[in-house]
Amino acid sequence: MISNTKIVGAVEIGTTKVTVLVGEIARGRELSIIGVGEASSRGVIKGAVMDFKAASEATHSALLAAEQSAGTRVDEVYLAQTGGHLEGFENEASVNVTAADNTVSAMDTDTVCRLAMAKELPEGRIVVHHIRRPFRLDGRLVPDPEHLVGRRLDVSYWTIHGLESKVADNTHVINGFSVRVTKLILSSLASGALVTSAEERHNGVLAIDLGGGTTDFALYRDGCAHKTGVVAVGGGHLTNDLALGLRVQQGQAETLKLRYGRGVVHARDKRDKVMLIGDFSIGDREFPRLTIEQITAARVWEIFEVVRKKLGASFAPEKIPAGVVLTGGSAKLPAITEAAAKVFGASARLGEVPAWIGENLRDPGYATALGLLHFSLNAQADRATAPRRSLLSKLFATA
Amino acid sequence: MSKTTNTAPFARTWQDISQSVNPRAMSKVSRQRRLAWTLKFAGLAGVVAAIVWGTIEIAETMGRSPNQPGLAESGPPLKEITLTTDGVLDRTWAGRALALPKNATLMALDLYALRTRLLAHGQIKAAVLARNFPSTLALNIQERSPVARIQVQVGAAPPCAFLVARDGVVYDGKNYDPALLNTLPWLDGVRLVRAGNGFAPVDGMDAVADLLATAHNQAEHLYRGFEVVSLARLASDGELVVRSKDIPEITFNTRDDYFRQLARLDYVLDLARTQPDKPLKSVNLANGLQVPVTIDTVARLQNSAAAPAPGNNLFPLPGLTHIAQRDF
Repeated sequence: MISNTKIVGAVEIGTTKVTVLVGEIARGRELSIIGVGEASSRGVIKGAVMDFKAASEATHSALLAAEQSAGTRVDEVYLAQTGGHLEGFENEASVNVTAADNTVSAMDTDTVCRLAMAKELPEGRIVVHHIRRPFRLDGRLVPDPEHLVGRRLDVSYWTIHGLESKVADNTHVINGFSVRVTKLILSSLASGALVTSAEERHNGVLAIDLGGGTTDFALYRDGCAHKTGVVAVGGGHLTNDLALGLRVQQGQAETLKLRYGRGVVHARDKRDKVMLIGDFSIGDREFPRLTIEQITAARVWEIFEVVRKKLGASFAPEKIPAGVVLTGGSAKLPAITEAAAKVFGASARLGEVPAWIGENLRDPGYATALGLLHFSLNAQADRATAPRRSLLSKLFATA
Repeated sequence: MSKTTNTAPFARTWQDISQSVNPRAMSKVSRQRRLAWTLKFAGLAGVVAAIVWGTIEIAETMGRSPNQPGLAESGPPLKEITLTTDGVLDRTWAGRALALPKNATLMALDLYALRTRLLAHGQIKAAVLARNFPSTLALNIQERSPVARIQVQVGAAPPCAFLVARDGVVYDGKNYDPALLNTLPWLDGVRLVRAGNGFAPVDGMDAVADLLATAHNQAEHLYRGFEVVSLARLASDGELVVRSKDIPEITFNTRDDYFRQLARLDYVLDLARTQPDKPLKSVNLANGLQVPVTIDTVARLQNSAAAPAPGNNLFPLPGLTHIAQRDF
């Protein structure tokens, strides 16, 4: 008997931590999160695996903890992909409708899609995603042009590619746990799909996932991802800036960031001091609050500026009525939304996960893993609802 | 961009990356997990295999009929049946009686069932069956000897002759020489009782067998004349009544020595031969030294017109010493 239940693992190998969620998908449409596993990340720098053994041990520990928490083995893994090596480009194609009565056929759409996707990459690069944007039939946007009448059919794809070696390293870490990677999904797409609604994505929204080592962003328009990118700067750089600027250790800098860091400068009095530890013990020091805020705000501002610069002409404040949605572990920095609003000239808010998700998983740091489960549910639902074609129908379809 | 006939080749995607598991890429945690899973799987497979094997064994055991003596299962097939007997039965008869299947193997034979099948034949008194490897079944049987014959009629079926052994067993004799059977006297005055497919043993056959054996061994000329032995008065009077060719009724006492009674009979017959005009009707040997005889008066009148004067119906018997001098 074939089981109707699938156990899916959502894995995010981040720069600071590895997060694994185990979801049980029943009958292709019901998702239950049944296991959580976390481990401090090792051997990963700016989202890329640098020490395979250390990264494997950290990831496998998190996977095992998640399996033990779920009480079952993971069948397949949905893996988040990030890193500064990821890039994207737009590729357009157009065809003249072949039918005499100008009715668009399946063959026309297949042809234009194949043309748009067919582009060679430099040596060592590999495609991670082909994101299709809406079709244009004689200039008008149509989600599905089949059976519509027109003369010219256009489509464009946003193709995301990365270094094959780095992508392979990520998948091999999972394979080392004797599990296959079923789907590789860009981190920004995973978290963006979770924290934005379909309506927001249709109207236009910018989702920014502020991680520990990278900042991933996805600009949505017309219901699909219009542009994505990765900035190899994240919350870890704020800590590093504080450690250099205040001449403290990394751990102390992390404590100061979490306690007193802000997205915009709020303090006005230079004499306003904060204590490093707070109990006047040996090694306890005081730092000006204004300095801490200035350091963190400057780095946050810079990150957003880089994102805006990477978006280039595709971004305009009026093109994102839904504004900017921030998520990821570093999005917890106070007043970071104010910084985003100022940089992008649009409203900004923190992303919220759906209400059905439990309290322990509502932290923005789980957004990517939750988004992976969201993707896995959609994939299973697509498989479940896909019509089963008989041999006869296949025969006639190809005739 | 216009349509082109030849599209550029598709770039490699992440799905082209080989996802085979390299053991060297496995962490300690992963190896432990795989080992645990392998052990679990092996254990489960073992349990399943044991259940399947047990089920098959039980099914085979339940499917094997205990009444089916010959089952070709394993081992070399049965090639030969050897027979050792103290009687007249032969190997052909044994083969028919055992009715073994063609593909029977020696190990598959149920010797107990086969022995029971043999003993169902009344002619078999005892049977020993043994496997002589690799492919021989050895039969060693002891047969009953017939003492007398008996005529039996069951229902409307025509009467048929059966044989009776010393232990009273009534059976259908096989392979006997017909000339031998013709010498056996018939039994009379017996009430046969059905028992299963045959008849219950006849009581009193010991006495009959002793009489006939003594007659056969000591006075064969008398024995040859015995035609019918009646047991009608055995239970009540302890007497056997024999009809011979010469005398219609000879009464023997089962409590006395048959040898002496036969000696008196022989003497009476010798005397009777000297007086052919006095044919004997009966001789009663059951009264010790006194042997009353009856003359068949009807025959006497028919045989002779001028008969001498009738004498005493008792033949004068000499002393016992005279009998002892006779050489049987």
